[in-house]
Amino acid sequence: MRLALAIGTFFILVIHGVVFYNQFFHQWERNQHAYFDQARSLAKTDAERATLANRRPRIEQIVVSNFGETRVDRCTTCHIAADDPRFTTYAEPLKSHPYSAAMGDVQKNGKWERRHKFSEFGCTVCHDGQGRGLEPEYAHGADEYWPDPLLGYTTQAHWRKDFAPKLKGREYMQANCAQCHTDIAFPGTALVTKGRELFFGSNCYGCHRIEGLSDGTIGPDLSDVGKKWKLDYLWGRIADPKSILATSIMPRFNLKDEEIKALVVFLKSRKGRNFAETEIQRFKVKLTGGAELVQATIKPVQINAAEILKQGEKLVLDRACTACHKLGDRDGGIAPDLSQEGLIKDAAWIYDHFKNPKATMPDSIMPAFRFTDDEFKAMTAYLVTLKGAPVTASGEGIYKALCLRCHGEKGDGHGPIAEHLDPYPRDLTKDGFMNSKPEARLVSSVRNGVAGTSMPAWGKLLSEEQAKAVLGYIQTTFTKEPRRELKPRAVPEKNPVAMGKDSVARGEELFVNRCAGCHGKKGDGKGPNSLDILPKPRNLRNSFFVNSVDDKRLFESILYGVQGTAMPPWIDQVSNNDVGDLVNFIRSINQKEKGGQHAAPVQ
Amino acid sequence: MSPATPPKSSFLAALMGLPRNVWHSIFRNPLPSNDLERSSTSFTNFFLHIHPVKVHKNSLRPTYTFGLGLISFFLFVILIVTGILLMFYYVPSTTQAYDRMLDLRGSVAFGTLLRNMHRWSAHGMVAMVFLHLCRVFLTGSYKKPREFNWVVGVILFLLTLFMSFTGYLLPWDQLAFWAITVGTAIAGYAPIVGKDIQFLLMGGTSVGQEALLRFYVLHVAVLPAILTLMIAIHFWRIRKDGGLSRPEDADPKITLEPMESAGAPKASVLEPKKVYGFQGLVRGPLTKVGQVPDNTVFSWPNLFLAELFTFVVTLSAILILSLLFNAPLEEPVNALHPPNPAKAPWYFLGLQEMVSYSAFWGGIGVPTIFVLLLLGAPYLDRGPKGVGKWFSRDRLLANTIFITFVVANIIFVIIGTFFRGANWAFVSPW
Repeated sequence: MRLALAIGTFFILVIHGVVFYNQFFHQWERNQHAYFDQARSLAKTDAERATLANRRPRIEQIVVSNFGETRVDRCTTCHIAADDPRFTTYAEPLKSHPYSAAMGDVQKNGKWERRHKFSEFGCTVCHDGQGRGLEPEYAHGADEYWPDPLLGYTTQAHWRKDFAPKLKGREYMQANCAQCHTDIAFPGTALVTKGRELFFGSNCYGCHRIEGLSDGTIGPDLSDVGKKWKLDYLWGRIADPKSILATSIMPRFNLKDEEIKALVVFLKSRKGRNFAETEIQRFKVKLTGGAELVQATIKPVQINAAEILKQGEKLVLDRACTACHKLGDRDGGIAPDLSQEGLIKDAAWIYDHFKNPKATMPDSIMPAFRFTDDEFKAMTAYLVTLKGAPVTASGEGIYKALCLRCHGEKGDGHGPIAEHLDPYPRDLTKDGFMNSKPEARLVSSVRNGVAGTSMPAWGKLLSEEQAKAVLGYIQTTFTKEPRRELKPRAVPEKNPVAMGKDSVARGEELFVNRCAGCHGKKGDGKGPNSLDILPKPRNLRNSFFVNSVDDKRLFESILYGVQGTAMPPWIDQVSNNDVGDLVNFIRSINQKEKGGQHAAPVQ
Repeated sequence: MSPATPPKSSFLAALMGLPRNVWHSIFRNPLPSNDLERSSTSFTNFFLHIHPVKVHKNSLRPTYTFGLGLISFFLFVILIVTGILLMFYYVPSTTQAYDRMLDLRGSVAFGTLLRNMHRWSAHGMVAMVFLHLCRVFLTGSYKKPREFNWVVGVILFLLTLFMSFTGYLLPWDQLAFWAITVGTAIAGYAPIVGKDIQFLLMGGTSVGQEALLRFYVLHVAVLPAILTLMIAIHFWRIRKDGGLSRPEDADPKITLEPMESAGAPKASVLEPKKVYGFQGLVRGPLTKVGQVPDNTVFSWPNLFLAELFTFVVTLSAILILSLLFNAPLEEPVNALHPPNPAKAPWYFLGLQEMVSYSAFWGGIGVPTIFVLLLLGAPYLDRGPKGVGKWFSRDRLLANTIFITFVVANIIFVIIGTFFRGANWAFVSPW
């Protein structure tokens, strides 16, 4: 017992020794001693030497209060020679901070004078890092929890190995320069300017919002993304979006490393509010939507009539259309194939879709981009020339070339881009649906398309025989059940109830009572039950679709239900007149828009 | 000393004798060399007199107690000392707290060590108090006459948890913020008063400046005061309940022989003429008169050396831990960006894991039943057998129920700590 006690006590003593050693022999004290010694040997006067001999190590700190929250920068405790011009050739940490005319430093009588004085700016305002720390690891922000490691110098151990080397370099500090130097095209922040141009050039603004610059809503708001995330995360989200968030729908853009770097620096400079802004400036930007900056950043292409096709092609490729769409070899894997655009859409439709995607496709997720009309026209002119490759005669070949992208390999509607389409592509394995529709209607859907949906009219590409061949392939491969003779259904050809206020009112009441559970009170297909249903209930406010179907089809769907979907038959519960009221109500909420998604149906 | 001695030499003599005199005025006894002095030393020293002069051999068996209660107490002492030192640097303000943490880590002398010691002692105390509770239950020591001391012990355990929980918020980093957000949310699942308790704890609807201030005051003033008082009661009751529990056969049988002239007491005996010593009031088998054989030894040096040894081991362990592992300090608080998953402190992860199955039963129902069972154990389990033995067969049912609860909780804590990833989905740690 006594021996154990003695050992234990000895142990405590040893530990205390270690603790005290760590406490009183800091790395920074050794650094300062080294500096005093070196400075003494460089000193010119005895007085200077005497002062240096009397100096004792102590924690140096700069309290910076002019830039946001008060900072305490103790960096100069180790980097004690930072402002001593005699130490330019020494190794860190005993190296003087470089003097640079580009940074505004001036030479007076052979002596450099800094534009950014350390006593005013401190260190972390430009460099980031953790000003209060005294151990290099913590001070430089190398521990994984510190949100702002030294910009361009310190990479944290858990950063992705292939990204980390790319995140070094003093140019990353431009993100911090831009906190004060907010002038458009400030020469010192070239990467920020380039990144901002890329933000518009690559159409990032279509999906992302940045306060005072853009207002996309599909992706996250990036207004203070630089405050929230470190460099490796920003780089990763751009270079390999799915690696960081598996469910991300952000496309992988075709960007070079220098472009990604510019974007990362630009995004790192987005910190919500910067030091230069005043309240009134922010308000002004809010009012104008940052028009000045946007105008200066977007560089519209001058279109001349002679080269319109060439310019259109270049625009389509440059403006990252293929980050989502497929065109030739490039495939963003999010939006439909543009390879045969000239055969399935006409110029007017494409132009309208550019100007406002939702105007031609009510549930499209394509953002409205800020190109000039001329640019849109050039791109349209180019797109209508696209005819794709001629299709084979075999049903299988056609399906794989044209249908698979949406309807999927198994024909179940879960194609590679299906989740981005609204309405969702039809599940072709549902024999209840496929076999309850006359063949003529299926052929028509293939050749004329389905208005208001992403199903294009393939009529110019597929002859009737080819359409039947692909349907035959679908029937044998996916639907499997053979077609049966369809029973004739008692459906009025025309709505027997006249359109009128009373009828619409009756229809609305009926709709709210019976249909709203799935189709929603507004008829937009977003009723409370819709979440559990696939295919989703039809959006009855999709005018292109509703106006493209005749009364007979609406009657049939309501009276007999739609087999293979959740729509039940209502024939036992409602009279023909009730259905007439419903149809009138549905028609009444779709009267504004005219026309359709498609060119005139192919005869 | 004769009055003839000159005053000068008398003064010199006093001066010479000064150290000795001061020493003797503080310590009344020399290092004891016989039993009388041993008793006297224990009895006259303020810090020692809390112990009995003689202590039962069973209480000194390391494998009976494992010193768990003492370790808990010593950790509490370490916590108080380091805590007070930390208080000199800490500011309970959302704008300053984190910076103060950085200062403690970066530039305050011994700051890192203090923080590490405080952190690991706090975790250690939760663990040790819980193990102590297990020891007392599994040896059946809560039985008569120690029922109430057991209740005090259970309350001390809950206070320790709360103490550690309130301290968890103070660094004001992401870890703290979200652990407390989750922890207080669990309290919010209580029926009827849940939301009010949550509001009362946080001083608002979310963790913010008010919550920080409240947790600080609870942590440095309210809870330590209550804890100290309860510990004092706990120790006092140990003495009054006859020392630590021990098996029945640990003491030799004493048969009381009838006195020879036993007759009806005279009226004069009953009259309050005689003055009784305090011994007359002390219960239990320690009060003995004359040369009765017993199994006790003197506390000096047996007990005191054991205690000193426990202290040295505890302090060494905490110091080593503090040298090897730094207390975590994560990102500054960002209320808009929760880590995924946000986890409560480890000792509440069992609760959080259960909450993921059922908010009410996991967070409130099961823990309440467990605590009520613990508090009620000595009053429900009245059988006098099985005291003082680990895993006594006489207490099979009680031990089985207890171990089931404990093992289940430990499993839940392990699952919650190592097997839960983003969105609380099951992940494999390797």
